[in-house]
Amino acid sequence: MRRIYAYFISLPLLAIAISANLSAQDTITVPLRIKAGIDIAGPLVYSANKNILNTEFFFSADLSEKKAVYLSTGFLDYKFSQYNYEYTNKGAFLKAGLDFNFLKPDKAADKYWAGVGLRYGITVFNSGYPSFSQDNYWGKTISSISRTTHWAHFLEISPGIRTQIFTNFSMGWNISMRMMLYSGTGKDLKPIYLPGFGNAQKNISAGVNYYLVWSIPYKKIRVILKKEEPEETDETEGAQGSSNTGNRQQVQRGRQ
Amino acid sequence: MVSNIYRYISRLSMLALLVAMYSCTPLSCFDETEAFVKASFYSNDTKKLQAPDSLTMYGINRESSPLYNKSVKIQPAYLPLNSSDERCSLIVRINGINDTLDIRYTSYPHLISKECGVTFYHNIDTIIHTSNIIDYIFVSKGTITTINEENLRIFY
Repeated sequence: MRRIYAYFISLPLLAIAISANLSAQDTITVPLRIKAGIDIAGPLVYSANKNILNTEFFFSADLSEKKAVYLSTGFLDYKFSQYNYEYTNKGAFLKAGLDFNFLKPDKAADKYWAGVGLRYGITVFNSGYPSFSQDNYWGKTISSISRTTHWAHFLEISPGIRTQIFTNFSMGWNISMRMMLYSGTGKDLKPIYLPGFGNAQKNISAGVNYYLVWSIPYKKIRVILKKEEPEETDETEGAQGSSNTGNRQQVQRGRQ
Repeated sequence: MVSNIYRYISRLSMLALLVAMYSCTPLSCFDETEAFVKASFYSNDTKKLQAPDSLTMYGINRESSPLYNKSVKIQPAYLPLNSSDERCSLIVRINGINDTLDIRYTSYPHLISKECGVTFYHNIDTIIHTSNIIDYIFVSKGTITTINEENLRIFY
């Protein structure tokens, strides 16, 4: 019975000790945010090329100062015509995954984000060839393929940067590299351009998104800052002259 | 830490520039856009490749526009198929002797690439021929595509 009392008394003491230890270290309060963004690269491309209308919206919620859960959706209306064929594709997509922030909380300062997103994408699209023709020894053959609906799956890795422009508003861009898992069509009529994926002629595609992001904090957490190791000086730099060495020493003192 | 961020941003900017340059590559087609039947000629005596000394080939009722006209040492011969029809008849004149070739097939569309567009591929069903100089025809690959591979072996 005495042991049980001791246990109950020691638990709050342990909690006090831990909190005292935490406050002794450097900590920072980080707001976790819910974000909503729109890609403005799609409408900009459409203003220059009326054959590609691509819209994309994303939503994310911070799980911690480093991780956020990510969901995006969008729509594509694509038309293409070359000398002997016309192609159309309309569809929507959904991407889900995680965003990882590489910046430490004190450097990010609730204003900057530099990191990478890993996503799984799925798209449903309706594509067809309104007309195509072939000219050969026997004459000209004109035909068409009616629109059919397909599903495709892909993976995406998307490094990027964002910076706050006003309170709760930020902007920035991502480069996306995507890998096709399943294109949804047979090998003879592979899609040319897919919603959320881009150029589908190869299994790997690349793209750039430029986002305007609105965010609101929904929770605050305290994060312990790890002390930075001082950067190692190169031996060659040290041998370059006394003035350079002096500057380096000043920088290191400033950081300490 | 700050220098790391700048390094990250500059590398990302370089990558974005490369992606933009790649996206702006103009469209040009450098691939074969027609699926020909590739027919090789063999000696029926030796069973080895042997190009005819003279080859003339044209579609029936199209004598005025021959595919080959007394052409020398053709190997292989490229035979176009009519995508609007399911059969194709050709006159094949090897070393001055005529034979008729009747090819029956089905056609289906195939996207070569965004740059090169759509063409028709074919599946050969049967081949019927006269035997004035041609002994027999062996279908080595019945799917006719733009890939450069032998489809028929004509033994004469």
